[in-house]
Amino acid sequence: MLQYAAIILLVLGLYGILTQRNVIKIIISLNILEIGLNLFIISVGYVEDGLAPIFTTDNASSTLNFVDPLPQALVLTAIVIGVGTTALGLAIAKNIYQKYGTFNLDEMGEE
Amino acid sequence: MSAVYFIAVPLLAAFISILNKKVAPYLLLLVSFASITYLGFIELQEVVIGGFEAPYGINLVLDQFSYVGLLIVNVLFFIVVALDVQKYSKLASILLVALAGLNGLLLTGDLFNLFVFIEISGIAAYLITTTNKKPLATFNYLVQGTVGSCLYLLGLIILYAMFGTLNMRGIGTLAADANVVAVAFPFLLMFIGLGVEAKLLPLNSWVKGILGNSNTLSGPMIGAVYATAMGLVFGRLLVNVFAVSEQLQLIITIIIVVSITAGEAMAYASTKVREILLFSSIAQAALVVLLFVSGFTGWAVLLVIVNGVGKLVLFFITNLITEQVGSDEVNALKGVFTNNKIVGLSFTVASLSAIGLPLFVGFTVKMNMLGALFTTGEYLFPAVILLTSIVEGVYFVKLLIKLWNSKNEAPQVTFDFIVKYVVALIAILLIVFGVYQSPVEELANDLQAINYIEGGN
Repeated sequence: MLQYAAIILLVLGLYGILTQRNVIKIIISLNILEIGLNLFIISVGYVEDGLAPIFTTDNASSTLNFVDPLPQALVLTAIVIGVGTTALGLAIAKNIYQKYGTFNLDEMGEE
Repeated sequence: MSAVYFIAVPLLAAFISILNKKVAPYLLLLVSFASITYLGFIELQEVVIGGFEAPYGINLVLDQFSYVGLLIVNVLFFIVVALDVQKYSKLASILLVALAGLNGLLLTGDLFNLFVFIEISGIAAYLITTTNKKPLATFNYLVQGTVGSCLYLLGLIILYAMFGTLNMRGIGTLAADANVVAVAFPFLLMFIGLGVEAKLLPLNSWVKGILGNSNTLSGPMIGAVYATAMGLVFGRLLVNVFAVSEQLQLIITIIIVVSITAGEAMAYASTKVREILLFSSIAQAALVVLLFVSGFTGWAVLLVIVNGVGKLVLFFITNLITEQVGSDEVNALKGVFTNNKIVGLSFTVASLSAIGLPLFVGFTVKMNMLGALFTTGEYLFPAVILLTSIVEGVYFVKLLIKLWNSKNEAPQVTFDFIVKYVVALIAILLIVFGVYQSPVEELANDLQAINYIEGGN
């Protein structure tokens, strides 16, 4: 179920990037795409009724039904990279606004 | 003596350079030069990070393939940086991050780690292209680059769900035995994702905005250094990781043929020098992928190297002229080389080598490449390459004739002594290795023997 939600978000983000003509909205679409992707990664490691993958005195056996921790670590990295790209995108959007006085791609009169 | 320093030292230097802006350019030159020197002392090895053996941990692989890659990328990087450091000293920290990212791309033996390095070098590339002062083109590049790396990430996660490992060699071995149709989809996603930086269709429309408006830093850096690194990364994945099924082969074939023909046709139709160069490099990038897919690793690596060196000279000279004349229209630059014979000759040598005329190293590579492709019994690719070579020859010769001859007064352009020296040296090397072919052939044969990445499982 989680995977379907992730794929819907992914496609939604891609649709937004292709159709939107506003620079800020394109960045938001990019973020939706990334969130969908992150959800998808999490869903890969998901285990029904799983435990958090931490050894404690209560959960001291590796045979327990642990959730796969690797996708969670990957998502953490992917989120950080996503934030970096978004920040850079917004900085460039600011430059675009200073140069053209608009965020709309159609009103810039340039390719 | 550990290969980790190729990544760790530039990153550390990048942080230090933020603290002290004055030393940053010197630090950049020092680290970049030290990186090349270090290559002379290091031996081939596999580095296990944090004591976690593959497939549980990340490993860095320094085999002959990545050694050659590191050598050429670091040398090209140093040349570009040394020629530009005074003008773009503000970008020193970013260039250090770029160096760490590029070295990481070539060294890593882990697919997710590769994603991280793609993003690191990608973000550095977006920042380098802001010097073009075309924010819209940079934005376009950023969006396409991010979408591409998202597709790559999606592909690798599907592979992780299938095989439970992210190690390149591990996936390579497992995918070879797996259902080829099932693995074709994630591989296709990764192929398209990597194709953004490698300038392959369908996500290469950023190239025109970026390289068409480039300057002496961004042009050679994106057009030569990054292109070389991405070409080699593509090679690593295509040779060591991907199991290419018939369906995937068909899609890749279409992408390659369209990229080559469209690239050469667009280059033929262009009237601006930089556009001619960038469309020609799109076609060359597709050619590299073609060689890797067909299994001719050795000649593919050499083609990447020859392209990288040639494009560095071409983009650098073109951008220097454009900055002084204020236009890169071929007609505005008529006769520009009549007063600058050394630079003109170097430009001529680099472009003739790109066409693949005898006496230049490009000829050796093209000749052997065609010979190798003919042995496969597949005649589509040699036919496409030969046809497009004619087109390539025509537009480069047309360009050269115009740049050398003028009835009216030629535009006045001056070059630094150091620029003349560097481009002349590269041109001489292109001729020397074009005539004295045996080291080139030996290197190609050595690299051909590499079938899998050492280490990991």
